[in-house]
Amino acid sequence: MSKLYQAKHELWLKVLYSSFAIANEKIKSDLYDFAMIQFRHLKWIGSDILANNQDYNYDRNFSLNKLESVHEIIHNLIVEIKSTQKAYAKTELFERVTTDENYLIEYCEEILKTQDLDIKVTAFNLERCYGNLSQAQIDAFSLFLFEESYKEYELILVYAWMQARTNDLLQFNVYQDLIDESQFHLKSFSNMMADLGILTLPRELHEMTYKITDLKKFIIAGIAEEEAAKEMCKALSRDINDEKLSKFFDFINYQESYHIALMKKLL
Amino acid sequence: MLEDVVMPNGMNPEVLEHIMNPQNYGKLESPSGVGLGLDEKTGEYVVFYVEVKDEQLIRSRFATNGCQDTVVIGSMFTQMIEGKTVEYAKSALAKIDEKLGVVTPQQKICANMVLEAFIASLINIQNIQSGAKEEMHVTKMQESCEVEDV
Repeated sequence: MSKLYQAKHELWLKVLYSSFAIANEKIKSDLYDFAMIQFRHLKWIGSDILANNQDYNYDRNFSLNKLESVHEIIHNLIVEIKSTQKAYAKTELFERVTTDENYLIEYCEEILKTQDLDIKVTAFNLERCYGNLSQAQIDAFSLFLFEESYKEYELILVYAWMQARTNDLLQFNVYQDLIDESQFHLKSFSNMMADLGILTLPRELHEMTYKITDLKKFIIAGIAEEEAAKEMCKALSRDINDEKLSKFFDFINYQESYHIALMKKLL
Repeated sequence: MLEDVVMPNGMNPEVLEHIMNPQNYGKLESPSGVGLGLDEKTGEYVVFYVEVKDEQLIRSRFATNGCQDTVVIGSMFTQMIEGKTVEYAKSALAKIDEKLGVVTPQQKICANMVLEAFIASLINIQNIQSGAKEEMHVTKMQESCEVEDV
């Protein structure tokens, strides 16, 4: 089951990063919704594994295919889904999972029939141009995105790990809020990375990162990280010569403030 | 090779490549030694795996929950030492340390964590050879990444 969990973890990321890579807003939005469904599948599969007194991990073994057209990405996604489905058991959960994914495959096949949708993908071209930003501003912006996209991915998985292992309702709800917020941040940052042509997968988590033994220590360190992220947002908002981006960083900064309030509830 | 190393003091193409595709990132299934550089204050760590045969570093891997600077330095350092002798790797530590003169205090601390984790992996090998049952050797960092900018 842990191998299947790994395959579903990878499939969640494959759908998610297909969404980020494609510029067409409708396809991007639809694939993002499918990616969120994949994440729920992952949560349910994880719960089943724990209920059977087994365990899973967050190991991964794939790299992002930097494909050059929408149709290549969509075709690749269909292949990946069908390949993952071969390992499914005949259970109520996997019947649901298969139904969801077959609908996604049909959705993808419709895209492949429409030649007009097969436009060039620029998410991986490394051009790093963004409005009127100077090179130094783009460097700072790029570093922020690399740093924070990893951090959001890390937080999603760490909170999901903790949520799956708590019987405390308050903790469960706080973890869910924090997961939802990090999903939104990961989406925002990754779409910006795609705009810059530097879309890339966050690196894999080592088990020492998510197997938390001291919750209090973890939360205190997490609050310090949120404070650091707030400072980075403030600096970017102040220094970046782009009104829209400045407003976005102010918006993220205020969200980070409430994350700290949520995290304090866990202490 | 050491002369070509560019520290992450800007977003040049080499640094960008190390950020986007960190080399030797992950773990080894059957390492000769495992070392951990740990910043207890922030919880940040670097874990370093080495496979050594006849005094030669056959393979190395690292992983971290730290910042991109740590990733870039770990990626560069593991590339530098792969296939080299343990003695060469030890001398590489001194040479890379000289290069850190131009980077920020935070980046130097990140680099130290990578290097301390590597040294800890070698200590782990020695300890195992001496009969100790040590899963990994842990080195607690003297300095924390939480330093003021200068």
